[in-house]
Amino acid sequence: MMRAWLSRMRFLVRQTLSRRKLRSEMDDELEFHLEQAIAANVAAGMTAEEARRQALIAFGGLEGTREQCHEQRPGWWMCTVAQDVRYALRGFRRNAAFTITVIATLALGIGATTAVFSVVDRILFRSLPYAHGDRLVSIGLVQSLEKQEFMLGGFYFDWRDNQKPFEAVAAQGTMLHACDLVEANPAQLNCIQAQSGFLPLLGISPVLGRNFLPEEDQPNSPRVALISYGLWQDHFNRDAGILSRQIDVDGSPTRVIGVLPKGFELPTLQAPDVMLPMALNEGLERKANPGTPMRAFARLRPGVSIEQARAEMGPLFVQTRDALIPPPLRKDFHLSIRSLRDRETQDVQLTAWILLAAVLAVLLIACANVASLMMARGEARERELAVRSALGASRGRLIRQTLTEAVLLSLAGATAGIALAEGLLRVFLAMAPTGIPFLSKASLDLRIVLFTVILSLVCGALFGLLPALQTPRAVALAAHAAKSRRRAMLRQSLVVGQIAISMVLLSGAALLLRSFANMEQQSLGIETQRVLTARIALPGFRYNTAQKRMQFYLQSEAALRRLPGIRAVSFSDSVPPGGWHDARRYSELAVAGKPRPEQGIGGSVISRGVTPDYFQALNIPIIRGRNFSEADRNGTEPLVVLSRLLAARLFPGEDPIGKRMQTGHDGPWSTIVGVAENARNGGLTEQDVPEVYILRRSVVQDWGERAQVGEGISGAAPVMIVDAALPPAAVAPWVRSQVAGIDPTVPVKIETLTEQVNKLADRPRFETALLGFFAFCGVLMAVIGLYGVIAFVAAQRTQEIGVRMALGATRVDILRLIAGEGVRLIVLGGVLGLGAALAAARLLKSLLFNVGTYDPGTYGLVVVLLTLVALAATLIPARAAMQVEPVEALRYE
Amino acid sequence: MHGWGVAQRIQQVSKEVLQIGQGSLYPALHRLEYKGWIRSDWGSSDNNRRAKFYELTVAGRKQLETELATWERLSAAIKLVLGQEAQA
Repeated sequence: MMRAWLSRMRFLVRQTLSRRKLRSEMDDELEFHLEQAIAANVAAGMTAEEARRQALIAFGGLEGTREQCHEQRPGWWMCTVAQDVRYALRGFRRNAAFTITVIATLALGIGATTAVFSVVDRILFRSLPYAHGDRLVSIGLVQSLEKQEFMLGGFYFDWRDNQKPFEAVAAQGTMLHACDLVEANPAQLNCIQAQSGFLPLLGISPVLGRNFLPEEDQPNSPRVALISYGLWQDHFNRDAGILSRQIDVDGSPTRVIGVLPKGFELPTLQAPDVMLPMALNEGLERKANPGTPMRAFARLRPGVSIEQARAEMGPLFVQTRDALIPPPLRKDFHLSIRSLRDRETQDVQLTAWILLAAVLAVLLIACANVASLMMARGEARERELAVRSALGASRGRLIRQTLTEAVLLSLAGATAGIALAEGLLRVFLAMAPTGIPFLSKASLDLRIVLFTVILSLVCGALFGLLPALQTPRAVALAAHAAKSRRRAMLRQSLVVGQIAISMVLLSGAALLLRSFANMEQQSLGIETQRVLTARIALPGFRYNTAQKRMQFYLQSEAALRRLPGIRAVSFSDSVPPGGWHDARRYSELAVAGKPRPEQGIGGSVISRGVTPDYFQALNIPIIRGRNFSEADRNGTEPLVVLSRLLAARLFPGEDPIGKRMQTGHDGPWSTIVGVAENARNGGLTEQDVPEVYILRRSVVQDWGERAQVGEGISGAAPVMIVDAALPPAAVAPWVRSQVAGIDPTVPVKIETLTEQVNKLADRPRFETALLGFFAFCGVLMAVIGLYGVIAFVAAQRTQEIGVRMALGATRVDILRLIAGEGVRLIVLGGVLGLGAALAAARLLKSLLFNVGTYDPGTYGLVVVLLTLVALAATLIPARAAMQVEPVEALRYE
Repeated sequence: MHGWGVAQRIQQVSKEVLQIGQGSLYPALHRLEYKGWIRSDWGSSDNNRRAKFYELTVAGRKQLETELATWERLSAAIKLVLGQEAQA
């Protein structure tokens, strides 16, 4: 009896509880409580039904208790996150156009910013890979022919002993030079000389072994060397016993005393394979004029600024200069102290800043777009939020839901953005000019990925939250015209900002594009089609006399001439229009029978030692006199040809042919035989420089050592210029095989002249393409934003449009009404943007070629283009509004 | 002691002054348990039904003491304030 009663009661309770199939311990616990209560009530004399009713009343809401218990669990909110995520995803799927636009916008913003920042980070922000990198400076002299600081032996020792602003001073050789590793497995390497104080100055210590001792950095001390990590790894297979080994560098046995750290680069951004002591003879250097050239670096004392150092070094500089440099040249030498970062990256800093500014502008536009889209969506969902809030969703819960959506969108955008950044970075690397330092080492920077993701999250969340924050008590179900107007204002100002920023981007890109087109279309004055250049790096160790070198070159010239289809073969020490070339001061030139020009004025003159075929190979016409002849090569008389520019300067109104001149202070007197037409020789964008062509005769002294500073590697390497009737691809292998026929071990680097010219245009092409891409993205997003706002306004005013039409407004009136809204935004944004663009254009000044910073044509074009695109974006929704049927519009809502 | 017992006990001890909402007892018990101040075990009740029994843990006892001390201070302060106001 008792048993039956109990089971009956259990049934009663279970009926109440098991509405959910899920039986949990909590249910058991609550069941027990109710059983006890019911039992107590029954004992108090109630009927079974009544007992259960009273027990439930006393207990309160059963389901509520269950939920509350559930919510006590730590991490309970995680479940609601899953719920929010599911809900958000459903919403996204329903509204695919919105979702895709937001994600694409975010991806573009995040991707572009990350990629560009990864490139410019090392140039502009990241600290140098040396200890106290911020206090390292490059110190030395500059003059009209060398704008990078250099140091001379005498100056170095004088300054080292008498300077005050620096903690330490040390120098390296001026440049890497080719050297030979002679052993069973020979290799051509890059060597550099450095002083024993050089690595400690940079705060670099070898990973293995030790640095040079001061006594090893003396003349006639036993030869020692540090080798690079790469050489140790690849050539010596990480041999731990390397330190006890002798290697043979350029025929001299050398003891390896250390291994440089992985990835070590000189402050001149070159990576040497072997570092040898400079071993300067101090006594000799102090007396020598000009002394050994080198690159010197120093560490400022803490608290000393570069300006202070410059001021303190000024008097010392004047004193040393007056002691060591002959009076006529003094005026041309200046002191220069620059931070190491500037020394490394000064000429790309402007580009880097411009790219960074451009990409931040794109990010700004993207954020505005996301904000605007999120606001529109929030507004469209006010009703939904109101309903949910009426059904009991707390405000916190609604905010969390909105945040979940923003986070999801940001994460999706970030994922796509990182993929895009990776792709963009590859494109940058593929098209980037070689002159941008660190680019090849650029990799995606996680910090900046994080930064952009957070920024976009803030954009999305902030504006997405706006409606959720403003929906406390089902407000949205009531009229809210004022608030919505205020928010519409906000969106409109966002669009105005977007148009203004894209205007700035677009005009910058247009200016660069015009400048680039001008550069490409200019006449260079030389033939570049079907012209090959071959650089043959003769190992200085085996070709150690000018005689051997000359022999090799003349032999290869003769061999190439025998080939079919070769029209001209010439040797020159350099090739126009850009790159390295030998130069001297205008004031060094002297004409027989005329006073020498005043010292220190007139700029510089390019000099090129060429064989007679040079003018034919590059198709530079001789406009007066004659070209050098083959017979002249074997003559004894030094001959020169002047460029038209130089002839006009040296011999105004006279005939230069047959006159004699000196091409340097102590150069031989040469006879002028001809005048050649000007050819571009100062790079693609600089003015032409006067030029003197010196005949390279077949005598030993004309094939002597000549520094190839621009290539970073020295050596006696004239460039062979080959003009062929056949395509370069066919000729190149012949050239190689002919050279190999003479000496199979020398490396030959063949390039077409077109390639070299293209390479000169790499930097502007890079800048133009990038800025153009950013401008395109910016305009695209701004237009999407504009379209969104106008479409939204049109949708909101559907009812109003219906009323107006019913009252007799024509469709054109409606079009004007809606489009007018867009036009207002376009005009406002355009005017603001034009002002900003004109102000920003000054930054681009140094990058522009033959285009004014305020070029009216360019700005006109940009204004027209942007207006047209923006108008199109306005007209589409406006037309849709125009086609609204009045009856339908009035039924709307 | 199980939940039902706790509810009955509070009612008895407070001489029916404190009518605890039975429904809100369980969330409180669960919260205390998650905080580690009480622990629970399944056992059988007086009438041989499976029931969940709660007991204080060491941490819980300590917490109880601090809470009690706080309460003493607070109620004493209130008493003082009220007493003085009554005099004034």
